[in-house]
Amino acid sequence: MSKNVTINFSVNGERETRVVEADLSLLTFIREQLNLTGTKEGCAVGECGACIVLLDGNPANSCLVLAAELDGKELLTIEGLARNGELDRVQKAFIDHAAFQCGYCTPGMIMSARALLERNPSPTDADIDEALSGNLCRCGAYQEIREAVKSCSRHNGEGRIE
Amino acid sequence: MPSFAYRKCTNLAEAFKLLKEDDRAVPLAGGTDLTVGIRGGKFRVGALIDIKDIPELNILLADRDGITIGAAVSLNRIISFGPIRENVPILAEACHCIGTYSVRNRATLSGNICNASPAADAAPPLYCLEARVNIAGPRKKRTVSIEAFFTGPGQTVLQQGELVTSVLIPRPYPAGKGVYLKGSRTGSVDLATVGVAVQRRGNEVRIALGAVAPTPVRAGSVENAVNKNGETDWAAAARLVRDDISPITDLRGSREYRYHLAEVLVRRGLEQVMEG
Repeated sequence: MSKNVTINFSVNGERETRVVEADLSLLTFIREQLNLTGTKEGCAVGECGACIVLLDGNPANSCLVLAAELDGKELLTIEGLARNGELDRVQKAFIDHAAFQCGYCTPGMIMSARALLERNPSPTDADIDEALSGNLCRCGAYQEIREAVKSCSRHNGEGRIE
Repeated sequence: MPSFAYRKCTNLAEAFKLLKEDDRAVPLAGGTDLTVGIRGGKFRVGALIDIKDIPELNILLADRDGITIGAAVSLNRIISFGPIRENVPILAEACHCIGTYSVRNRATLSGNICNASPAADAAPPLYCLEARVNIAGPRKKRTVSIEAFFTGPGQTVLQQGELVTSVLIPRPYPAGKGVYLKGSRTGSVDLATVGVAVQRRGNEVRIALGAVAPTPVRAGSVENAVNKNGETDWAAAARLVRDDISPITDLRGSREYRYHLAEVLVRRGLEQVMEG
């Protein structure tokens, strides 16, 4: 059985083919081989959420996933949200609500929030807390983060997150 | 040099063949315990056989036998599955106690029981629901009760080359309320210090606990007092749980504290399901 695995996937809309070592984590692959360092390593055991990315639209702790498991999947990282140099609504909302201090948890927070708003455009506070339950913020910006996500709800102004 | 090999399978026959090739090959589903355990040195594996894309392991269905939960079905799918929410909400409640939203997107019920932590949150409700574990190997299939499945901390009846294909929650579903009460160090994400499932079935009750013995355990003494002897002093009944458990001291709580917490949670559970 092979210890090197060929994977076909898309990253932020671009198709890619790579050969990866079987024991390489998706997180390390994203940061060190795709050179997308917006995705952060915090705990590396699935507790903090700094490394959350979207796999086929679903939040996943990339530290708990193998790069080999990326085969056939669509990967979206924080770098894939801006369009033509313009930040997306969730990113803007985090800035508008000062939803961070150090910013280390922010990419993971935004990816979780983004997935939530895709599956539930009008989340309640409880929905937001549930969706972000895997994202820890050591600065304690939780109130501002919740407000930022709520401001992207369909009940608030423009609604759509694209 | 990578420490292990990886192969994705699309059918069970292929998985059994690969599991046979390497006696240190292990099935990979959600990987939320496995990847951490490998990196931390808890598990040594020669190969990970990815079973997530095998169609029959993704079954989640309710039929006349009960509810069948395939080994690759994520906890979030289980939690939002209508027949589970309607008929056995205690299972959804306990699955919701595992990890965080993003972890539950990948983690599976079968993985939770195969990891065989005495503190596995899904186990106590499965005991109360008398779940059956469907196991397949290269030559034959077998089914064991959930209570027979666990044999010790991190140990199950699974033989090398076998894997869990699904868990069945059999009919008839319990008529009555069920609760899973988890005592942990924080109100947020943590392993259970003590986990207690209390499920009413008509006028009877089923009680099971996690994190208080080498495997999850049924509270037979408490069940007997209530079901056979008609005990309705819930505090008195709950005290008997001390005969059913053998907790240890670890970083989540002392042996004495676990005895105390188990009694308190069993009493609260009885109050919540047996009254009203």
